[in-house]
Amino acid sequence: MNLLTALVVAVIFASGTFLLLQRDLTRVVVGIILISNAAALFIVSSGLLRGEAAIYPLDESGLTGQGIADPLVQAMALTALVIGFALAALILVFVYRLFASQGTMDLEEVAEAELRDARSLDLADDPEREELPSEEQDDESYEADAEREGRTPR
Amino acid sequence: MSAEQILLTLPVGVTWVLAVSLALLDGRRWWVGSIAALGLAVSLVSLFVLAFIVVRDGPVTLVAGGWEEGVGIAFRADALGVTFALVSVTVILAAMLYEVFVGVRWRAFPSLVLFVAAGLSGLFMTGDVFNFYVFFEISMSASFILTGYREEDYQVRGAFIFAVVNLLGSVIFLIGIAALYTVTGSLDMQVIAERTALLETGSVLVIAAVIFAAFFLKLGLFPFHFWLPAVYVGSHASVAAILSGALANIGSYGLLRFGADLLPRELGIGTVVVMVLGAASIIYGALQAVSRRDASEVMAYSAIGQVGYILLALAIGGPVGYTAAVLYSVVNSLNKGVVFLAAGIRGPLVGAAFVIGAFSIAGVPPAAGFLGKLAVFKAAIEGQGGLVGAGLVLLVFLGGAFSFLYSFQIYQRKYVRPGSSGKHPERDADLVPTKLGPPAARYLVFGLALVLLGLGLYPEPLVAVSQAAADVILSGGYGGAP
Repeated sequence: MNLLTALVVAVIFASGTFLLLQRDLTRVVVGIILISNAAALFIVSSGLLRGEAAIYPLDESGLTGQGIADPLVQAMALTALVIGFALAALILVFVYRLFASQGTMDLEEVAEAELRDARSLDLADDPEREELPSEEQDDESYEADAEREGRTPR
Repeated sequence: MSAEQILLTLPVGVTWVLAVSLALLDGRRWWVGSIAALGLAVSLVSLFVLAFIVVRDGPVTLVAGGWEEGVGIAFRADALGVTFALVSVTVILAAMLYEVFVGVRWRAFPSLVLFVAAGLSGLFMTGDVFNFYVFFEISMSASFILTGYREEDYQVRGAFIFAVVNLLGSVIFLIGIAALYTVTGSLDMQVIAERTALLETGSVLVIAAVIFAAFFLKLGLFPFHFWLPAVYVGSHASVAAILSGALANIGSYGLLRFGADLLPRELGIGTVVVMVLGAASIIYGALQAVSRRDASEVMAYSAIGQVGYILLALAIGGPVGYTAAVLYSVVNSLNKGVVFLAAGIRGPLVGAAFVIGAFSIAGVPPAAGFLGKLAVFKAAIEGQGGLVGAGLVLLVFLGGAFSFLYSFQIYQRKYVRPGSSGKHPERDADLVPTKLGPPAARYLVFGLALVLLGLGLYPEPLVAVSQAAADVILSGGYGGAP
């Protein structure tokens, strides 16, 4: 049982790592989700007791107290899952934002854009430039963004 | 609850409640930002009082829900945690005020900054390893969003890189915690320290390596540094100050708490590794910083080098080493706060502030940075005899020389050289500083630089607090005798 869980965790973690190293940004996000789920599984497995329930079993005679799995690790796994879920959503937003502004999901192309931008970095804090949307972005999504974030539309 | 225990909940409670309520308001209005700054100020004052109590009377403990100690989730403020919380909240408060003066552009900004502060103060004052992870994630996720502040493309890219890399780091840390729980059966730091001391080293060593790797990543040490320049260079001034002045403290605090305090034996085994990593970071960061032109880029690489000193001090260990590590972390985050904030605006006062910050990083005497360098120097001489000691002294000296070189280079490029000569408009674009900020922001940055200078001229409180923090580790803190 332990070996099996360990193998499952290892395979999920390895797949996550593999995806994390891909060029496509969606795959990177999926990789992150897999890795954080592997961690949650690892936590659960650290309190594993041969598949017993975590709830304290009560029968007619009173407390049995035998063979319950550790409930604390399950609470921990739940917390970790929620955090991982929230962060996956956040990273997806970043990916969407990158896609909206650059029209690509490829890490290499994003990196090229990064090099281009690095040269004009010093001009970035210019207040006039801040108010303008980036050129690649279509107006519709900008307006939608502006509305959602409560920015004053131009 | 006693008065001290109520005081213990204030830094987390006030910022947390404000963060949630300010999230509903439009953060671009000046008064919303001011309320956030006020909340941070309340948190800072209560941390000051708490620090005073903790240094005088020893740690304050609060177990959530009135459970017995060891059953409930413990909150515990000792000199080490309070020192780190104090300096982090100071930098965050400065960054928040700066942003209010310059003009907040996001409605969520004040609330996110408060979440970072709440997460950090909770993390520095918790006695439970899983809570440490939760607070860690609260401050990290808020800072991921903050990195994208202003929404320039390169800032969103920076936020993406930052989020992916650090999420990987926190997952690794989480696995370390789960493994610690498996071998000790507890999440309470005190119990973990007691029980790991009884276990055989093999299994704990692997866990320690996993946890240390997570903190190395957070600190941005040499082989783990790849994400750091992309994030620090692109970020807006106040965000970069929060990231490098406050958030990076998680790494140094984590290494001190988990390494020196909870797993001292494992840290002892890994001394050579820690020392080599620290040395590599110092050399790598300094060389890269010397070769860069842009001020914020130089400072980003210098940040890699600066954490190397903290690691060296940690590896040396003992009372001198730990004191040096705490002292250097405190001074370093103030330096970074001043320098990154000053890099965002210009003007004579800001120039002076930047110079003070940069030369404090280089370790020039009147500024507080000198104290940090001195402490590491002293630790290298006293802590390690023979050839290793001599090598460390040479390394610290070499690193100091390099940091002096790059500080002077930026100073020259940014402030001495007259503006555009008209011959090379392309190149001059690099050299023209950014916009002249509002006067209040400039006074603020200058004031923060004066604090740095003041700490250098009157170092007694800082040294005393660092010693108290080192005593916490050495007297067992959570663990037994080292």
